[in-house]
Amino acid sequence: MKTINSIIAIFQREFKITYRNFSDILSIFLFFLMGVMIFVFSIGANDDIFNQIGIGIIWTLILLTNNLTLRKFYQDDFNDGSLVIFHLSGLSYELIVLIKIIVNWLVIQIPFFILIPISGFLLNIEFFNIKIIFISFLLGSPITTCITSISGAMNLLNKKNFAIGSLIIMILSIPVIIFSVGLINTSEESMGAQINILMGIMFLFLAITPWVCSICIKLAIQEK
Amino acid sequence: MRFLINPNRFNKFTDLILMPLIYLSIITLLAGLVFVFYLSPNDYLQGSTVRIMYIHVPSAWLALLTFFIMTLYSAAGLAFKIPFGFIVTSAVAPIGATFTLICLITGSFWGKPMWGTWWVWDARLTSVAILLFLYLIIIFLKNSFTNINVAEKITAVFVIVGSINLPIIKFSVDWWNTLHQPASISKLSSPSIDPSMLKPLILMTIAFTLIGLAIAIMRIKAEIYQRKHR
Repeated sequence: MKTINSIIAIFQREFKITYRNFSDILSIFLFFLMGVMIFVFSIGANDDIFNQIGIGIIWTLILLTNNLTLRKFYQDDFNDGSLVIFHLSGLSYELIVLIKIIVNWLVIQIPFFILIPISGFLLNIEFFNIKIIFISFLLGSPITTCITSISGAMNLLNKKNFAIGSLIIMILSIPVIIFSVGLINTSEESMGAQINILMGIMFLFLAITPWVCSICIKLAIQEK
Repeated sequence: MRFLINPNRFNKFTDLILMPLIYLSIITLLAGLVFVFYLSPNDYLQGSTVRIMYIHVPSAWLALLTFFIMTLYSAAGLAFKIPFGFIVTSAVAPIGATFTLICLITGSFWGKPMWGTWWVWDARLTSVAILLFLYLIIIFLKNSFTNINVAEKITAVFVIVGSINLPIIKFSVDWWNTLHQPASISKLSSPSIDPSMLKPLILMTIAFTLIGLAIAIMRIKAEIYQRKHR
């Protein structure tokens, strides 16, 4: 019972912080829409091209917005000592990581289900393709959240090289990008196979992320 | 076998074998080069460019082997708290990066006359390029922490996570339809390569492995010395 109470308390705290800091989240989404605009300006308004590469543009921008949320994951809680307090209230670090992943998925990835159709209309993508982007995003967004969490936990004590966190996110999300964007080029029959591969990657990352992140967080707290 | 995990025993053991290893690697390399340039035939389709293979294949093999060794040592270092594992990982990473770079460059020199392009976005080529980026990120990650204890452990975690790429590289030619050909000497009993070409290839592979081993031993010794006298 005590564990459940503390889990609920952490959830409430996270949502409260998000609510009080809402312009931060909104500017991340504005970044996404601005990115779509920049792509339109740099390629030139041509509907046929956007229909083909729209999914690539959207996935690239999702990756870049994930890079922006890298520091939100653990850095603030680590700096003011909240992570230790969570741990002292009887939760293991693995559970804290899992809670953080769920909260960040709800707060940062759910609004993309509204943003993706909007950007799809801006780019004049066909309805069927938007549906495919939806499916790939539903399976791919937990993976990108897990990857961001790994990168954030690894770079807690990193004060010298700020780009390396984004590099880790990018190199780990290459398989996600390949299989998500590959969905649009496959035939109807092989789509099931691609979705299965994506689900496999998702479950792999859901399994290893709490373990990897808790090792890094424990190390950072020991050596601080 | 304690020299594999104990720095002092490693130093003692490698003091004995380092010089013979260097001489042996030079002799094998020279013999291999003689075989490559004078005693192996031209390919009936590729002509003389087939000789690039004798550099390309051994360096690709070593690029993968180095990452595999790094993964093993990182896992040992994290699981059994063996500091020597982290020493090996950080000492060996630049060697693997160099061999990957050699593999990519010779591959593109080979690809230009044979396929008509320097580079294609093919599964095997892309995954090897990702391997190079993994090596570079490992090197950068190790240098981006002020505390060496944190740096080596975080790097070890990243090496283990990044080792997912290894089976993808190995089996990319079997899983996807690629321009790159599948492995020719995966089965030693009946290789799909002529013996006159197999002989220099095996000699060069042995030579490259010995050179890599010698450089790795020197780098590990330097790393141990550096940590002792900091």
